[in-house]
Amino acid sequence: MLRSGIALLFMLFSLQLTAQNRVTLSGYVRDGATGEELLGATVFVKEKQNGVVTNGYGFYSLTLEPGKYTFLFSFIGYETVERKLVLNESLSLNIDLIESSQTLEEVVVVSEREDENVTDIQMSRNDISIAQVKKLPSLFGEPDIIKSIQLLPGVISAGEGTSSFFVRGGSADQNLILIDEAPVYDPSHLFGLFSVFNADVIKSSELYKGGIPARYGGRLSSVLDVRTKDGNNQRFGGEAGIGLLASSLMLEGPIKQNESSFIISARRSYVDAFLRAADQDNLVFFYDVNAKINWRASNKDRFFLALYAGRDDFDFGDTFGFDWGNRTATFRWNHLFNDKLFSNTTLIANSFDYGLGSTSATNAFNWDSNLSEFSFKEDINFYISPSLTLDFGYHLTYRKFAPGKIVPGATSILGATELQNEQALDHAIYLSVKHKISDKLTLDYGGRLSYFQNVGDYTLYLYDDVRDNINPTRIDSIQYGGFETIVDYLNFEPRFGARYLLNKSTSLKLSYQRMVQNTHLISSGTVPVPFNTWAPSSTYLKPQVADQFALGYFRNFKGNSYELSVEAYYKDIQNVTDFADNASIFFNQDLPTEFRQGTSTAYGTEFMLQKKKGLFTGFVSYTWSLAERTVEGVNQGRVFFANYDRRNTLNIVGTYEHSPKWTFGGNFTYGTGRPITLTSGTYEFGESYLPDIITERNGYRLPAFHRIDLSATLTPQKARKNKNIETSWVFGLYNVYSRKNPFTLFTSIPLDDDGQVEGDGTLREARMIYLFPILPSFTYNIKF
Amino acid sequence: MKRIVCLMGWSMLLLLACEEVVIIDIEELDERVIIEGLITDQRQQAFVKLTRSRDFYAEGPADRITNALVEVTINDGEVVQFVHNPDRFPALEGYYFPFGGLEGVVGSEYRLSVRIGEELYEAREAMPPVTTIDSLTTRFDQSEFDDPQVSGRYYQVLLNAQEPQDRDDQYLFKFYRNDTLIRDFPTDIYVAEDELLGGNIAELEIAGYYALDDVARVEMYSLTREAFIYYSDLSNLLNGDGGLFSPPPANPRNNISNSALGYFQVSALALDQVVVYDPR
Repeated sequence: MLRSGIALLFMLFSLQLTAQNRVTLSGYVRDGATGEELLGATVFVKEKQNGVVTNGYGFYSLTLEPGKYTFLFSFIGYETVERKLVLNESLSLNIDLIESSQTLEEVVVVSEREDENVTDIQMSRNDISIAQVKKLPSLFGEPDIIKSIQLLPGVISAGEGTSSFFVRGGSADQNLILIDEAPVYDPSHLFGLFSVFNADVIKSSELYKGGIPARYGGRLSSVLDVRTKDGNNQRFGGEAGIGLLASSLMLEGPIKQNESSFIISARRSYVDAFLRAADQDNLVFFYDVNAKINWRASNKDRFFLALYAGRDDFDFGDTFGFDWGNRTATFRWNHLFNDKLFSNTTLIANSFDYGLGSTSATNAFNWDSNLSEFSFKEDINFYISPSLTLDFGYHLTYRKFAPGKIVPGATSILGATELQNEQALDHAIYLSVKHKISDKLTLDYGGRLSYFQNVGDYTLYLYDDVRDNINPTRIDSIQYGGFETIVDYLNFEPRFGARYLLNKSTSLKLSYQRMVQNTHLISSGTVPVPFNTWAPSSTYLKPQVADQFALGYFRNFKGNSYELSVEAYYKDIQNVTDFADNASIFFNQDLPTEFRQGTSTAYGTEFMLQKKKGLFTGFVSYTWSLAERTVEGVNQGRVFFANYDRRNTLNIVGTYEHSPKWTFGGNFTYGTGRPITLTSGTYEFGESYLPDIITERNGYRLPAFHRIDLSATLTPQKARKNKNIETSWVFGLYNVYSRKNPFTLFTSIPLDDDGQVEGDGTLREARMIYLFPILPSFTYNIKF
Repeated sequence: MKRIVCLMGWSMLLLLACEEVVIIDIEELDERVIIEGLITDQRQQAFVKLTRSRDFYAEGPADRITNALVEVTINDGEVVQFVHNPDRFPALEGYYFPFGGLEGVVGSEYRLSVRIGEELYEAREAMPPVTTIDSLTTRFDQSEFDDPQVSGRYYQVLLNAQEPQDRDDQYLFKFYRNDTLIRDFPTDIYVAEDELLGGNIAELEIAGYYALDDVARVEMYSLTREAFIYYSDLSNLLNGDGGLFSPPPANPRNNISNSALGYFQVSALALDQVVVYDPR
């Protein structure tokens, strides 16, 4: 594959040289007011009825025969710019787009390129507009892209107030979440109430559910690619938001106008201040800091340095506490080798850690665990012609997994224990070709070759029976030195997409992808908690491999005001990582004895109708889906529903721009209950225990949930552009009809009001937990 | 330690959640047989209890099985027959006792055989050794004194024992106040394994608070690895959150064949008791 890839490259290069004297128009598309590059902006050549899309850094390149052309530069939410040019020689052209002002009249300019839904080959992708997210109601008034993602078709949430999401039958650890190219291992604050993404600094966020481009790898089910703003390089400004539970401040501005800029933002919760005031012993707080500097050294070179640090801290009185956090640092260098060849070199350092501690006299201990990674990535976009673009590159990541050590307190009865660290090297080389075969047919094909090594320093233990988790017996051990390969896995991940235009506003799309995951979350609950550790593929844990087919029908109506997409998918996972019944996954020196890898099958249909223009915008999304697993050692090897299997999900989301001052937003969400493992009877044991009898994993289903949320945004200043300070108030009402939405169910012994056991001690009851009744919220924002 | 981890999962919910009792709609259960057996090195303790499973919403005790054939074979040799409730006590329906008594010996292997109708259930377990309890001491708890749950009860009893580091031991503890079994919560199970313990069990608080002159008794049962796993699994099942943050519930891994629930436990016993005094 590698050899033929290189051969293809040479062939295309030579085609280039021997072709007629062609010229290239290239450059960056930017927001005129801030200087921020716009990713995914369309550059369309009218005469060719063809075009390209700006890459992740706002760069485009079009190679054509010399001649006279009309170029259209467009991006959603901005006024389209038209340039008529006579191209006799290659030209570098940067374009500034101006945000289109929302007026009371219908938006008149309809760009042909807003039919991206139909014409772009990419399927199964959703772009989450931050502007839109801020207008919609949110939990506690905190706009959160992950909560918005949970409204999209094909995406399921575990329940309210959680920040994990499940895409097309994939578990929560199968999503690659990136912030400026650095992976985020736990995107939640306060156990999921908020996510680590501060909406103030996000420039773009894209969710790929299928048709995942070859430049992404490492997780099976989705990629959430979040990029932060680079910082306004025209003028100094900022935003502050004061909410019920947390506040944030963002400052941005030029270091040297038009050349370099910075952006820094911080967010902190003050729930702990309330709790302290209420004389509570329990304290909880979180913070996030995002900082970025970028420097445009020349038209050929740009440098970015981005930092993120966030932390959650819980303290329960004096007894115990825990904290966790992510820290990432990314350094990137964009370089233009020539006007067709764009290169991005990235260096990433990333760390996720958590600590648990108890200070009780006899049980005192401290447990610290950490995952760190260092990556080098080289990504190249080669714009051969408007019909042919190549993306290729090489990624190398070193990861160190330190699952933890327990350090007992001085008077503790516990002993010190330490789990071994594991190290891994992850190499990937990829190539993808985007090829417009004819006016109607475009193909995207290629693949990713991933080579994963689990390396020493490490002592590998061999077991008498690696599935014996009652009496794990080690029979031998093999010592590996630093960076010595213990086991390696080579996988080829083909990626294929096709788009066939039925007519100007209708298309059919097809995609196939194979994804491989070598970093496994060790968690057997439905919702991951921050102290679930991650483990690399190893002797005892094979890489998980997912194959997904998707087929879609896309249609735009009324001049691209309405977008309809219907997609069906089928996903099959080999070696899906699961754990034996009764697995002990915390601090288990013989964790391999608990691994049970099996197969997972998921399929479904997604339907989405969006209205993108006018005063009233929004979407309806409906998903029918099914996800099940078969794992030996779980549920006696019988097939069972996956934890995140939701049969029907319906979301209706809308915003209405009533006037320049008032915008209203609302959403209705409905979902079939998720499955849960519940009792089918009880028995007597011990002096008075009444345990449940479990006969079926996920055999019971929680009731459905549904709720309506509403919000209203008031922007008092009428003209939003020319004033120096803009303030706004967002009023929200969450769960308007205060439905008790079931979060989970568990069984217990009925107690009376004094806490004494009711009756003769033989009674049992089921209790349902629900989280949020009707919750009003308000947030005050200042933009300057 | 595991309890703390479970509590973590609940902690967010503790901050915000509301709870409500609901009626769940459960399918008819296939009846299961529950076998609870105990053999110790104390003559009076051996018994086997046989019951059937019950519906989730059933009230009253489980059905007892009174016509089974129960016997224990010692070291594949001597066979001891168990007799159902020989003294006809109503409270002991379903209990089977060894004819002529049975005093276990550390290191011996015991094989249980229960025949109910056409079905045969078997289990095999050896008796592990137990360490000795050095002493039980008391401690005055100021905060409980300031606000006692029950008047007069504000002393804690502390357990001191040596923990031999050269072998793997597991223990089950039972605590009694004036001959009544006590737990801090009804679903507590007190087990320990020495993998996490240091050299000594020093001043380990036992369950409950005590008043002066109460008799506090500690029973320390040695457990095989399998028995410890059974009690750990049982504790997870009794105390779990249903699988949201913690692992999904499952039946405890036991040592009885033919899908019977329960456990055949063979333990050596260490005992100690103290009359609660004021240590100050």
